Amino acid sequence: MADKGRDFRLADHLPNLRPDRRPASPDELPRQRNGVTPQMHGRYPDYNVLEEADHWDEVTRRLVLERLEKVPPIRFFTHGEARTLGVFCDLVMAQDREPKIPVLNIVDAKLFAGQLDGFRYADMPDDRETWRRLALGLDAAARQHGAGDFAGGAAEDVQTRVVDALAKGKLHGEVWDELPPDKTWKVVSRAILSAFYSHPWAWNEIGFGGPAYPRGYARLGVGQRESWERAAAFERDPVKDTEQRGVRGT
Amino acid sequence: MSRRHELRTLLRGALRPPENDSAFLLDVHRRAVPRERMAHYDDSFSVDLVIVGAGAGGGTLAQRLARRGWKVVVLESGPFWDPDQDWVSDEAGSHRLYWTDDRVTGGSDPVELGKNNCGHGVGGSMVHYAGYCPRFHPSDFEVRSRDGVGEDWPIRYWDLKRHYERLELELPVAGDYWPWGDPHRYPHTPHPIAGGAETARGGARKLGIEMRVGPVGITNGAFGNRPHCIYRGYCLQGCKVNAKASPLVTHIPDAIDHGAEIRAHCMATEVVLDDATGRVTGVRYIHGSEERFQRAEAVAVAGYSIETPRLLLNSTSRRFPHGLANNNDQVGRCVMVQGAPQVAGRFPDEMRMYKAPPPEISSEQFYETDPERGFARGFSIQTVGPLPIEHAQHVLGHGHWGPALREYMRDYNHWYTLGVLSELLPLPDNRVTIAHGETDGNGIPVARMDYSQCDNDRKNIAFAKQTLHDIFEAAGAQDVLVTDRYAHLVGGCRMGTDPDRSVVDADHRAWEVPNLFVADGSVMPTQGSANPAITIMALSCRLAERLDLKRLDARAHRQQSRRLRAPVPSRSSAG
Repeated sequence: MADKGRDFRLADHLPNLRPDRRPASPDELPRQRNGVTPQMHGRYPDYNVLEEADHWDEVTRRLVLERLEKVPPIRFFTHGEARTLGVFCDLVMAQDREPKIPVLNIVDAKLFAGQLDGFRYADMPDDRETWRRLALGLDAAARQHGAGDFAGGAAEDVQTRVVDALAKGKLHGEVWDELPPDKTWKVVSRAILSAFYSHPWAWNEIGFGGPAYPRGYARLGVGQRESWERAAAFERDPVKDTEQRGVRGT
Repeated sequence: MSRRHELRTLLRGALRPPENDSAFLLDVHRRAVPRERMAHYDDSFSVDLVIVGAGAGGGTLAQRLARRGWKVVVLESGPFWDPDQDWVSDEAGSHRLYWTDDRVTGGSDPVELGKNNCGHGVGGSMVHYAGYCPRFHPSDFEVRSRDGVGEDWPIRYWDLKRHYERLELELPVAGDYWPWGDPHRYPHTPHPIAGGAETARGGARKLGIEMRVGPVGITNGAFGNRPHCIYRGYCLQGCKVNAKASPLVTHIPDAIDHGAEIRAHCMATEVVLDDATGRVTGVRYIHGSEERFQRAEAVAVAGYSIETPRLLLNSTSRRFPHGLANNNDQVGRCVMVQGAPQVAGRFPDEMRMYKAPPPEISSEQFYETDPERGFARGFSIQTVGPLPIEHAQHVLGHGHWGPALREYMRDYNHWYTLGVLSELLPLPDNRVTIAHGETDGNGIPVARMDYSQCDNDRKNIAFAKQTLHDIFEAAGAQDVLVTDRYAHLVGGCRMGTDPDRSVVDADHRAWEVPNLFVADGSVMPTQGSANPAITIMALSCRLAERLDLKRLDARAHRQQSRRLRAPVPSRSSAG
């Protein structure tokens, strides 16, 4: 399949439409040729949103570029918590190799600064405490599967089963008798998704236009692209295209 | 009528709405509201009215009354925004637009607060609302008599109609001719729509569902010194362009020009009552670390459906041991949200739904009760255009995480999203209270909101979701993803005709306190399936008129007492 490429007009790569409900492997995509995507999956292999940074207003540009240039250190979580939760965040976002978006560091910075979301479920602790208890709860759940702890001792399929149970709200015992797993999932996934999809590498991966002030958008119709937006993989010949535009591979 | 409308359409941006110069008072070269000439009143000077909250309700009320010569101070807990410096074209970076102080959310169907429905700073939640400005339908004001559910309002649609019309000129609202409810036109012509909306509209049409463009409070063409929309899609992150309407650009500039003071970073902690007279005397508030007290002849609370009840409940006195105006135990009750599930559809072509404003087209065909559907009242259908973080939450809400989530997100550009607003019914046990033993950074007890759906609510949401499903199927979607959520907040201090079952009367006046008013969405007895912003503004517009009429008799008494005090407000040049 990698040889002839895929047709993204079809939807047969989407989990809902596949017999096993699992996605096609992203390794069938080209490697990102221009700029960086998480794990270098190249659905839009020649699109680098950062090339547009000169067109963004200065306040936005500073904010977005800071996400690349200043990875915040872990200050809120303990070393042990960070180890467990780092593995957890990587599983939730399927970041199985470098380059990785530093999701946990971004979450840590928010919690360290006390930047919360403006509400707490009545039967839940403060978001900061929820994260700490999640670390304990992941270890507890891993032990229930006979593993030592979540990050080090558990095989990958045990880790996956634990996260899946959390996502479905089906964890029991110890920490989880006091901490509702469904709401815990809501609280932590909200922070993880916000960290991951606010990062320009993720915008490269999904072909998102990014900040658009003061330039705006002019080509709004079905299948239309601005001059600087790029095609998805397999829509054009990568060799010719990179030569034409003088893009160097990574 | 039609000729007049054509002429108005032609002249649109050049026409000044009556008695509101806001769009023309803005600067051409920067987006911040000019406030070099803003009045500054001394705390000890008893102003005519102090308003708590500078959002849709408070901002509009301040402008109207300042125009009529009232001395008005607005206390706003958040900042006075400068769109150029404070706002970004970025989802995660817009966190500070939301009310993020501590709150507790409970009940069997708890509502996410913060980003979802709560604003902060001058302009209020309208700073980050999508921009939809539909009117309520005439039926919304009499749902108890018509449909046997909810509550009748003490006023009718026709009491608000001319206020809607006036506000539609001021925002201004752009859209197609509107056939639903009380049919009407909009002053600005409809915006162009993007491919996704076109596709969804085609699917709806196949099912006999009509979707129309707008109505949105977004200028189509320049309007005064507010420029044309640039279709960048970041309406929910604060409009850096000044094209989208919020009180910050539609009413605050004119209020300031007519002598109102908008005092930012002022967190109201108590509406103070004189136990001897039973009248309120002003508002205690925290500015920086300093506690201050603004004297006033009357107080209007406009903090929206959670902060308004919280402030009243926290204002206890000998006469009102359970909170101001709450001897009948009604404050905080019947708070409402709309059911707002979203369905995303996948198409062979790229839709790139991040372009164009999220609010593009909508339908009110299912707004009214249809006995065949098996539930009372209805819903509206709207486009929502989520940006990546929002869409990722949608995918996760459908149950995908890890590799499946990433795969769906890589496919983002092929998706388009529709949402509904389901009218959920007012229930007395859905209530804002004070969370036991919890305080915020200022030591003020925090609010708790409990929310549970009733059977009618569940049926409405399920039917609405199925309708979106059908539309995408008809449009040729290859896959759909569904997620549940809520939108908007209203109720909590409802207006009514029965002093035992409401907090304020038809003039927004607290039943038990003659000079205390509530001027925000919390007075709404029901919510319809319309976005509440323009109705909140219309209510304030009407309230201002009523207050100004009533002031005639209050004035004689006031002028006498003022002569004793005398300090004149300083019109200083400090910004």
